[in-house]
Amino acid sequence: MIDLLSFSLCLFAFNGFALAKPAHFKTVFTTRPSKLQSNLLLIVSWISILLSLLFCVVTQQGYGALLFCGFMGLSVLIITIFYNFIEKLIKPFSFLNMLLIGSSGLLLIVNSL
Amino acid sequence: MKDSFFRSMTWLHTWVGLLTCWIIYVIFFAGTASFFRDEINLRNQPAIHNVQAQTDRVAAQRQQIIKGFDYLNQHAANSPSWRITLPEERIPYLVYGYAKPKEPGQRRSQFVNTQLNPNTMQALPPFVETKGGNFFYRLHYQLYYLDAITGRWVVCFASFFMLLAIISGVVIHKRIFKDMFTFRRNKGTRSWLDAHNLSSVLALPFHLMITYTGIITLIFMLFPYPALTTYDKGMRGFFNDVTPSNNVTNNAQGSADLLPINTILDHVYTKWPSADITRVQVSKPNMAASTVTVLVSPAKALRDQSPRLLFSGATGKLVAQTDDELSSSKALYESLNSMHTGRFATPLLRWLYVLGGIAGCVMIGSGCIMWAKRIRERNKGKASFGLQLVEGLNLATIMGLPLATCAFFIANRLLSPTLAGRGEKEVTAFFLAWLVVALMALLKRDRLQWRVMAAINALACLSVPAINALTTQGNIVSYLLNKQWVLFIFDAVFLLFSILFLVQTEKLRTASSASKKTANNLTNNKKRQKHD
Repeated sequence: MIDLLSFSLCLFAFNGFALAKPAHFKTVFTTRPSKLQSNLLLIVSWISILLSLLFCVVTQQGYGALLFCGFMGLSVLIITIFYNFIEKLIKPFSFLNMLLIGSSGLLLIVNSL
Repeated sequence: MKDSFFRSMTWLHTWVGLLTCWIIYVIFFAGTASFFRDEINLRNQPAIHNVQAQTDRVAAQRQQIIKGFDYLNQHAANSPSWRITLPEERIPYLVYGYAKPKEPGQRRSQFVNTQLNPNTMQALPPFVETKGGNFFYRLHYQLYYLDAITGRWVVCFASFFMLLAIISGVVIHKRIFKDMFTFRRNKGTRSWLDAHNLSSVLALPFHLMITYTGIITLIFMLFPYPALTTYDKGMRGFFNDVTPSNNVTNNAQGSADLLPINTILDHVYTKWPSADITRVQVSKPNMAASTVTVLVSPAKALRDQSPRLLFSGATGKLVAQTDDELSSSKALYESLNSMHTGRFATPLLRWLYVLGGIAGCVMIGSGCIMWAKRIRERNKGKASFGLQLVEGLNLATIMGLPLATCAFFIANRLLSPTLAGRGEKEVTAFFLAWLVVALMALLKRDRLQWRVMAAINALACLSVPAINALTTQGNIVSYLLNKQWVLFIFDAVFLLFSILFLVQTEKLRTASSASKKTANNLTNNKKRQKHD
């Protein structure tokens, strides 16, 4: 479950990095992002990606950093496919991604109680 | 200054990449396959297809070792050495083996192995001779049909070139973050550049890590001087020093009964209560100089050398062991080595390694195709000898390797199980298939040839699971129903690649008809203009 949480956080971060770019933001929302929106997206994405790295290293020890690199590669690949081939599905995909973060996080908390 | 630096880096990136791209492609391809070395071994050995993984694997180890000692004492009491290889997560069977005395001129002893199903402790049907995943593993770091040391030097130089290409590539990729998620479709060489950039960037940490750690795995061959100047026996002395070895009972003479293995195992479990023992080796059994080496899995630790304890076989006294705490230099070397091999990686991480490997193949393949396309555009369709050579090597390598791999797996199923030198014949099938593609590439390298090769590859990939179903008791459906995941995924991957090659065939067909239409339109327009 922790791997799923780390991966979905990483995916969320790269989705945020992509949305922070005016061209990609326009593809999804048909308008350019304001400076504040761009900055907010970047800040949230950085927090998310650092959390993902932290979870990987804490749970997987030595191989955690490698796992994180793998998650980054897979996330970039998925985001690129969505933003270049199936733009229409970006909104539901982002929603699903957030749902995944929420549910895996919640399950982890419940399991640890 | 800035412009000239950028230009020099571009020149460097182009030429270091182009000169070695085909050999690096082979190294990456074989390396990616090697991440599933044990799984390939399992697939190539039908005798172990139905062996279920033990549920209480670690708990059963003590009994398996005791039974192994009884078996070997009974069958090979006077053998020079014994080896008990216990089942692991990815290797489901148990092996009791003993060495035959060396023949004159023989470097290593030949082992006689008995493979057992650990659940029933019954002997498995005879194993077929196969190179399995070890072929890809060796091909990855020392190539084939070359002396091992020469092969390793070639791989070393190629890795250096790769590292240079990666670093110079990062320098020249000005829009590395701006274009991070961008892929422009149907834009000719622009699309190839995007594919090259994307595959490089998405796995950049992996590419850097795997290339750098790859060089480190061969560092003692590249840079032996500190060891050569410190040790009288050179590299041998150095390796003896870092590997725990028996200096205590070596000179003991005469015979002596082996101590009951239970006593030795008690010592092991006292030191490591949850030890996952991978192997037990006995040298000179039933002699006063005998030693028993117990190797355990390092679990998730970034450590390449398995922790081990060496006991005197006659007295049970601990004579040597690996360091519990590694020195910083040893820890660095071991961690870099194990990062490269990913030997103890979880299945998830192993798949992510494979994703990185595939991205590496795409990066190299798109790079060399893009170069050829650009030069052809620049020369307005005229092809020099150099360009023809590059195009030929591109076709031979990129389309040849998948076909050769299929030939290897098909040969594994079609060759008679009793054929002498069967493993070597699988390798011959691999290189013969590759040679055929190379000869075809020598004759023609145009789009039609790529299309033909894509169609042949699609058929070959489809043949691997089909021939498996016809020659063994299982098939992709039964594997799915019986939850034989390794075999199911193996066949599914080949089916997936078959579909991908079919898509490529279709894309190449539509692309050629589109370019024919454009050419026809252009000629008609010219004719019309002349007529007017």
